[in-house]
Amino acid sequence: MISMIYIEEEITDHPRTRSLLKRFPEATQISCERYGEVFNRKSQNFRLQKKKPALILAKKHKGLVLPTPKQYGIGAEHNYYFSHMLNCLYDCRYCFLQGMFQSAHYVLFVNYEDFIEDMQSMLSRHEKETVHFFSGYDCDSLALDPVTNFTAEFLPFFTKNPQALLELRSKSTQIRSLIKQEPIQNCVIAFSFTPDKIARALEHKAPSIEKRISAIIELQNAGWKIGLRFDPLIYTKNYAEEYTTLFNSVFSKLDADLIHSVSLGGFRLPKDYFRKLEKLYPEERLFSSPLEEEDNSISYPANIRNEMLEFCKDIILQHIANEKFFPCHEMI
Amino acid sequence: MFHIFCALPCEAEPLIQHFKLTELKQFELFRIYQSKDKHISLTITGVGKINAASAICYHHACINTHPADGWLNIGVAGHKNIPVGEVRLINKITDHQNGACWYPQILFDSAVGSEALITLNKPSENYQDSLFDMEASAFYQMAIRLGTAELIHVLKVISDNADQSTSTVNAANVKKMIAAQTTTINKLILALKPFSDELANTLSEPEHYQDIIGQWHCTQSERIKLCQLLRRWSVRCSDQDLIQTLAKLKTAKQIINTLYEKINNSEFVIHD
Repeated sequence: MISMIYIEEEITDHPRTRSLLKRFPEATQISCERYGEVFNRKSQNFRLQKKKPALILAKKHKGLVLPTPKQYGIGAEHNYYFSHMLNCLYDCRYCFLQGMFQSAHYVLFVNYEDFIEDMQSMLSRHEKETVHFFSGYDCDSLALDPVTNFTAEFLPFFTKNPQALLELRSKSTQIRSLIKQEPIQNCVIAFSFTPDKIARALEHKAPSIEKRISAIIELQNAGWKIGLRFDPLIYTKNYAEEYTTLFNSVFSKLDADLIHSVSLGGFRLPKDYFRKLEKLYPEERLFSSPLEEEDNSISYPANIRNEMLEFCKDIILQHIANEKFFPCHEMI
Repeated sequence: MFHIFCALPCEAEPLIQHFKLTELKQFELFRIYQSKDKHISLTITGVGKINAASAICYHHACINTHPADGWLNIGVAGHKNIPVGEVRLINKITDHQNGACWYPQILFDSAVGSEALITLNKPSENYQDSLFDMEASAFYQMAIRLGTAELIHVLKVISDNADQSTSTVNAANVKKMIAAQTTTINKLILALKPFSDELANTLSEPEHYQDIIGQWHCTQSERIKLCQLLRRWSVRCSDQDLIQTLAKLKTAKQIINTLYEKINNSEFVIHD
């Protein structure tokens, strides 16, 4: 799967680097001083690199745990996100990472201990208050879990700190590590969904909707808390019919009482990212959607956006209690 | 198109023969060769970084290169212990003079292994684990301004090592060593071609764009808008006759407004 591995000189002897390199004995190893030399260079093509991404092993020095934008959250006052990885195994055409990064290579920050130390200091800052930590903004939290050992290494921190809650955002069915261990009540496995036909058109290489639902059922049966993220909502002529089918399928198969939270968000991208994506994939239908620019952001016009959000909200609230529903910031 | 750069005539000659290249006599500063179908061109740069960088600029200006083209530096290099005659792709280039590094992106499957390379200002027999040459850093630094990292590659045949020093290297055996690798070089070009084609497609103008800007005067910003709208038209209104739709319009502004309106009034389905 991985045939090239770039390794920052500083972490060559890190135990996690050594163990990862053992997993890919055939891969060519290339040393670099800092990961940015490879990852941030201009004159790279994200679309071409996505065909065969390399792995970059690096150390995250600054900004390990950061506050989320104000509008995002699932009920707590203090919300932070962290990214042990940059980029994703999947190739979802709406993903902002394609616009944000120069390279499609996977960057894995091996200094998990520094992330955990930073999370500990955030908890100390908000003593006795609930603090939510979100993983999966800049990568899929679970897709490479068998390689990164991410959940096994991070979950013990949350077991020890019940005032902290972890959201693992994913589309992956790599749940073996979670199933193997006792569930913890302050961890939410949050799955993103779009209707099946839309997922087939836009979520390349991601597990099918059916497989994602099966993974959720397995996790619910094992006692894990589940989040549902209908974000981004994607417009198509028959969106009402397609989202109705999706909601029926999801809510008829899952135990709604065991769902921790549901959130919604319309498709939107910063203008610069959208322009870059348009150039990378000029043939892509998504970028010919009825979209407009507003405040340096590209999204559906207010009438489409609100109609879709209201429609979805009404159906979702037939299945779950209002206090579990977290509509997105742009909902009017 | 693929652009090949060799430092020495003896490195270039087997490739000129293999790809049936002919010299473009109108260009005198560097010797430039090209295939009849213009798919492959080659420039002999001379030895060293200044020559390599200058030759790439000259080649770019003379041949009219495209951002989706492939760029190859092919030649001989030294290494501590890789046997003479073996070939390697380069995965990291370090300029010995200033320590700057570049990382060619090898996205294709290749039977040829890859190694790091150091570009020196002078020949050296102080062999290391990296290959030694005298052009690659300048080649790459210049080519990356004109192309993309996935399509710029350095391929070197080992000409000398700790057991067989540079004194054993001469033009005749360099020719033989390069000639023995023409199949490998061919395979490299074939492996890169799908990437180059895909990139060229993404950079191509939408259908009818040239017809429209040829017939109606468009400002630069109107051209950008027109490109965006024509792409959307091909997705959302492909069942309509564009030329007929625009036939009676008099200005670029009218065209843009008409396209915008027609596209917005069309139904949008994201999947087949």
